[in-house]
Amino acid sequence: MATEVSKERYLAEAVEELASLTPDHLREVLYKLKLCRYFDERMEALYRQGRLPGAIYSGRGQEGTHVGVAYALRSDDSLFPTHRDLSAQLTKGLDLNRVMAQFWGRIDGYTRGRDGNSHIGDWKGNRTFAVISHLPIAYPVACGAALAYKRRGEPRVAMAICGDGATSNGRWHEALNVSAIHRLPVVWVVNNNQYAYSTPNELEFAVPSIALRAAAYGMPGVRVDGANVLEVYAAARDAVERARGGDPSLIESVSLRWRGHAGHDPAKYVPRELLEDHVQNKDPVKRFEELLKAHDVIDDDGIKAIQERVGREFDQGYEYAQSSPFPVGSDVTKGLFVEDGYWTGEPSREGGTQS
Amino acid sequence: MVTQTVESGAAGHGAEPRGKRTEAGEATYLIAIAEALWEEMERDERVFLLGEDIGAYGGAFKVTEGFIDRFGPERVMDTPIAEETIVGLAIGSAMEGFRPVAEFQYADFMSSGFDEITTVLARYHYRSGVPLPVVLRGPSGGGVRASSFHSINPEPWFAHAGGIKVICPAFPSDAKGLLKSAIRDDNPCMFLEHKWIYRRIKEVVPEDPDFLVPIGRAEVRRIGTDVTIVTYGAMVHRALDAAADLAQKGVSVEVVDLRTIHPMDTEAVLESVAKTSRALVVYESYRFLGVGAEVAAVIAEEAFEHLDAPVMRLAPPNVPVPFSPALEDAFLPDVADIEEAVQKLSAW
Repeated sequence: MATEVSKERYLAEAVEELASLTPDHLREVLYKLKLCRYFDERMEALYRQGRLPGAIYSGRGQEGTHVGVAYALRSDDSLFPTHRDLSAQLTKGLDLNRVMAQFWGRIDGYTRGRDGNSHIGDWKGNRTFAVISHLPIAYPVACGAALAYKRRGEPRVAMAICGDGATSNGRWHEALNVSAIHRLPVVWVVNNNQYAYSTPNELEFAVPSIALRAAAYGMPGVRVDGANVLEVYAAARDAVERARGGDPSLIESVSLRWRGHAGHDPAKYVPRELLEDHVQNKDPVKRFEELLKAHDVIDDDGIKAIQERVGREFDQGYEYAQSSPFPVGSDVTKGLFVEDGYWTGEPSREGGTQS
Repeated sequence: MVTQTVESGAAGHGAEPRGKRTEAGEATYLIAIAEALWEEMERDERVFLLGEDIGAYGGAFKVTEGFIDRFGPERVMDTPIAEETIVGLAIGSAMEGFRPVAEFQYADFMSSGFDEITTVLARYHYRSGVPLPVVLRGPSGGGVRASSFHSINPEPWFAHAGGIKVICPAFPSDAKGLLKSAIRDDNPCMFLEHKWIYRRIKEVVPEDPDFLVPIGRAEVRRIGTDVTIVTYGAMVHRALDAAADLAQKGVSVEVVDLRTIHPMDTEAVLESVAKTSRALVVYESYRFLGVGAEVAAVIAEEAFEHLDAPVMRLAPPNVPVPFSPALEDAFLPDVADIEEAVQKLSAW
């Protein structure tokens, strides 16, 4: 069901959007795309080598969606993502070192080891909601944050992301409905990667697109090509501006989940030709790199420099995570309620680096 | 169990709920709850209410009657029938600095928001350090012929979720003081009002706007020496009736009103049992894996040397709350049941 856009048409159409961002911004977008891709690939390799505990939920192939929507937010706007959307959180500004510490269950992770992998958030800093597996559980919560902005007359926006699978859940419909009734400043994003775990779109909904459903709630809905980060960004920018004016909208960004639902899943249910088509022709990172080169925004040396930076940052993050101590077991009951001061104080760093 | 009082729509109109007290200054449990909400909204503009039919209609039980005229539709926010999103609105606005109080028309419908309550609200601070000053309130409990879907006692479900304080007051003053404490608390609180008590029990309630009752502290309602009854909610009133009868028969009963289910004041329970050596737990939620099982286990673990008899539980069977008066009366513990259990314990 993915939107078909040829490479030539993409290069031509993207020009208009190129003009809306400065060259520095465009290079920053490329850096974010490459960071997210590299992180995803390296973490999967570590997972397969048995060097990474827990689970991984690859967002590979969907970086155009994640970077595109998150890049349209300001730092004080809030983001309510899923486990699949770590790339959006990295785009919003999460510190790679602390993200890596989270994956290894260390005290310097954003959840101090209380949660793992992409079940992460940095509300106090980057205004991202700590991810919860039940989907789309953050959609109603995004309504609440948006209600707060509206009540205080602040020009802030809440953006929530979920996958195509989560749109089958009642909360998705509740949240869209309530946001329209109360005119809440929300941007609803659906990362349609065509599969809910193993379930394809045709077993998830009977309408031609998820974006169409927006009309049922009295808001605009657009369907964009997740392989085209600029198209996604432009839609998100428009939706964010609309939200600042007090109205919600829905963006469906179509891509393909290149990897399994989680690290253990070989995803053999995805037809090989479909996957190959996306990897060969609809890679959002490769496309954007080619676009910037074609328009002389960056050259080979510049691309090489970004790739080196990304590799360096990953290695630094890995070392940071390995040298960060584990939480101490005696803190297991702390921080349930605010009274014990666990979260307002510094935690013990006596846990050592051996599990 | 005899119940004749009209259950809703009897509070009358007016602005400040305090005006609905009797000439003697007594407030019903329902009016005490309304006073708490009103005073906290006057005190702190971050406090707001949301829920179904709470605005112009004033709520299914008329707790918020007149509120919209004073505080406006933004602070007395009517929502669609979307419980997951009611909870989500409360959580998200609390994350951004508000102090929401969400009303459920019946505590039964909290199960329609179960996932947001148990998965987000109960766990978020432990995982992230972000305080969620959210109050969820609603009428719970049976004895009013409201059958299976309007009589639930959901306190064990939510006490078991971990990060939520669960409050079950039995008296108007406690209802007012505990609700004000809950609204001022930086943690999620579930405030379960007992609808049987709403208009049956009234007393002179403190008028001091800073009158608070601490969360997590039990209260000894009647001092006694022979048997301790540990209870909460509407069962406190049955226990007190039974204790008064038993006193005539020469049995001295101490009644401990837990008031808060989580965190539980186990010290107060143990202190009483150390004195009486006999304990009966009376509660309205299910007997199986319930509040009484927890209280009995704590007593067995911490006060075994004081016991002269096994700890007994008196609570409804694990079946849906039935409608027919004959069935509901058989379902709920009544005064005679309590007296029988106490006599059995005394004779041990």
